[in-house]
Amino acid sequence: MPSKPDTALLIVGHGSTENPDSSTPYFDHADEIRSRGVFSEVHCCFWKEEPSMREARYMIDADEVYVVPDFISEGYFTQEIIPRELGLDGPTTEHHGKTWHYTLPVGVHSSMTGLLLRRAKDVAPDVDPSEITLFIVGHGTGLNQNSTKAIRDQAEAIKASGAGYAEVLDAYMEEQPFIADWDKLSKTDHVVVVPFFIADGLHSYQDIPVLLGFEKDEGEAASQREVFRNNPYHLRGKTLYYSSAIGTERHMADVILDQVADFDSKHLS
Amino acid sequence: MIAERLQQALDRGINRIGELIILRDVADSAFALCHIDDKDRLDELEIHRGAGAARDLSTWAEDGHYRFTKGELSLKKGWMLLLTDLNELRQALDLFYPAALGVWIAQEDGTLEVQHLRDKLGRQTGMYKFAKGISDAGAQRLVREVCGPGNCCVKKILWQLDADTPLEDSEASRFDGTLGEPARSIPLLCREACNHFVAECRKASKAEFEAAGAAKG
Repeated sequence: MPSKPDTALLIVGHGSTENPDSSTPYFDHADEIRSRGVFSEVHCCFWKEEPSMREARYMIDADEVYVVPDFISEGYFTQEIIPRELGLDGPTTEHHGKTWHYTLPVGVHSSMTGLLLRRAKDVAPDVDPSEITLFIVGHGTGLNQNSTKAIRDQAEAIKASGAGYAEVLDAYMEEQPFIADWDKLSKTDHVVVVPFFIADGLHSYQDIPVLLGFEKDEGEAASQREVFRNNPYHLRGKTLYYSSAIGTERHMADVILDQVADFDSKHLS
Repeated sequence: MIAERLQQALDRGINRIGELIILRDVADSAFALCHIDDKDRLDELEIHRGAGAARDLSTWAEDGHYRFTKGELSLKKGWMLLLTDLNELRQALDLFYPAALGVWIAQEDGTLEVQHLRDKLGRQTGMYKFAKGISDAGAQRLVREVCGPGNCCVKKILWQLDADTPLEDSEASRFDGTLGEPARSIPLLCREACNHFVAECRKASKAEFEAAGAAKG
């Protein structure tokens, strides 16, 4: 990506008052992009941590700012909360003496497909994809159709990619098809599960492992990275490989930059 | 420019922010940060390098709890962070005390916008929506019980309940955002209630609601 020397990048995340691992990927992505010297400044801001979105502008010197939601899907946060908090009213907004460019969230970018394929390969390197059912797992909620669209789209893109997986399925914690039924949903003996979340936290450490069946409900809570280290799990008559959240992938920095490049070609060229 | 304003502040002798002291020309580095209480035992401190280390140093308190509110008076001791230049110093300060430098500069320039509590509570989502039900008396009580150095927060509160309702006088509402030597300190400014305060408002609001229900019988 060409250098943008007088421009800032603002990565927006959710954050957590309970678990610092929740914001680690955002800072990692910021460090990675900072190290490439593309922008004059790279900052993070959050909904549930500091700095807040409303404080973020005070950290920024540059007159031009790219705002990238480090979120999985388009929905309530990216369409309502972030624009409201940052005072954005469209793709580009003049506000507080700065020009703000608001990109789509990282999770809907087509380059996420490559990341998912890389993660699926890394977690089960010795198994031929033709013997694997690959699950892309999201939270799911009856409240917002958009929350599952990004995941369905990625599952379709992987199917179309020629990667050769026996099946690629989207599944959810709280709506159908339920990830808890992974053994019934999959026809193959080998199963790979990739959580489609930005950060590792309660969902990937605890909730999904409980639904998959290799953690007990009353087990140790967050920050138990062992759940990713004990692959494969042999249960329900199948062999299961479980990955950490896709957002922890180092190459997410590339997806952030891809969203900025897409914004430029769509709105500024 | 924020870095230039930081340099000007340093040149005026300002060298404190929150629980940090800013040192110049330490070892082979242009700047260093350490806990104020460690300033007289620099030779004993564990050395860290680079702005990125600031996140780890500021995430956990000595007793292991997660410092999600960075103004909390619980910064670990026993370390020194070496920083090569002014930009690294600025970046590290934004990790220890997010946006504090820029917020202070905006206040100095008269451009800081403060968010009053009722506005902050009105913007909450999910289970925190309940927080806005707290009474004025309950919110005033919470300021005394949650904010200020007596409750382990080092920020100066700028917000009111709303534009017409200032905070009642208390140690918390009077606190100036510095830990000694105010003339040599960048004050930590609280321009909107933190999420910890919002969470406490939610609890208090629920308690008030339940108490009102119990009183009705």
